[in-house]
Amino acid sequence: MDYQTALGFALPIGLALAGVGSALGLGRAVGSAMEAMGRQPEAAGKIQLGMIIGAALIEALTIYSLVGFFVLSGKIGG
Amino acid sequence: MSLLPHWLVLTAHGEQVADTAHAAAGHGAAEGGGLPTSLPNAVTLVNDALHHPETGIMPFLHHFEVVLFAFVILTFMCIVAMRVYKNRKLIPGRLQAIVEMLVDGLSNFFIGIVGEKYGPRYVPFLGTLFVYILLMNFAGLIPFLHSSTANLNTTAALAICVFLHVQGSAIKHLGIGKWIYHLMGEPRDVITWVLVPINLPIHIIGELAKPFSLALRLFGNITGEDVLIAAFVGLGVLSLGFLHSPVGLPLHVPFIFLALLTSTIQALVFSLLAAVYFSLLLPHEHHEEEE
Repeated sequence: MDYQTALGFALPIGLALAGVGSALGLGRAVGSAMEAMGRQPEAAGKIQLGMIIGAALIEALTIYSLVGFFVLSGKIGG
Repeated sequence: MSLLPHWLVLTAHGEQVADTAHAAAGHGAAEGGGLPTSLPNAVTLVNDALHHPETGIMPFLHHFEVVLFAFVILTFMCIVAMRVYKNRKLIPGRLQAIVEMLVDGLSNFFIGIVGEKYGPRYVPFLGTLFVYILLMNFAGLIPFLHSSTANLNTTAALAICVFLHVQGSAIKHLGIGKWIYHLMGEPRDVITWVLVPINLPIHIIGELAKPFSLALRLFGNITGEDVLIAAFVGLGVLSLGFLHSPVGLPLHVPFIFLALLTSTIQALVFSLLAAVYFSLLLPHEHHEEEE
């Protein structure tokens, strides 16, 4: 198996795994944020801000994997 | 036929449509029959129309198109700022009211994060960072423009600016001795002094990882949404290939809205994290922190 075939297998699988991880994390984070907003609607603005920031940080890990995908996908089809 | 740009001229087969579609997408195009990876902008269109000239100003503009669009956004910001400042009145006109709302909102937001004492000093930097990144992200959604943040060089430059500013302010306000003391984990008793050889490299690597993560996060998000929109534009053109029509279905419109959302969020997160890095390193205020 040459490296291009290996990349062709590994890149989508790696990206999908990163997606699964971040989906689980985001589900927990946004779920707790929703619960907290339900308990205390007057704090909803601050909770929402924290949720957005937390979501961006969690999603950053998937984005790192996507960046690796962009860099390596140029090597396929050389 | 000569009135249409050459990449809009469709030929008989779907795969040739894909060829012209990704030939049109400029230097970001996929090789051999894939969907485009970036939409054409003003510089790539002019470059293609003149058939890639080797001399004159075009190679320079094409090579530095990211810097060119960053300067375009900067010029726009400067023109708006200068116009609002020169014609400022006590009862503001519309443009001045919008800019004042923006400045006031950003100032309150960042002072809330960095603290009352050091907040006002860093609001210009953080606020400009937010507006600049926001406008650069939005530029990718405007036809004929290109978002400079879709290039790792721009985001790395911004992240390096933030890193140097944060560390420089920490050194200026804490002094070098206290800064290194902070990086060692603020050892007080025997155990924390013994753990200094572990703490110091961990903190240094943590400080170095922050600009990396800032740059990669912004670059990855903006490039991802650019590629998404370009791929759906290609799909839209492909879908009407059998009709030989010069336009395709606007399948990418929902993703424009998604791109608006993620552009705003990423600009906010970048400047917010910069503010948080400031607040972490600057001396803590002694009254209890508000939640």
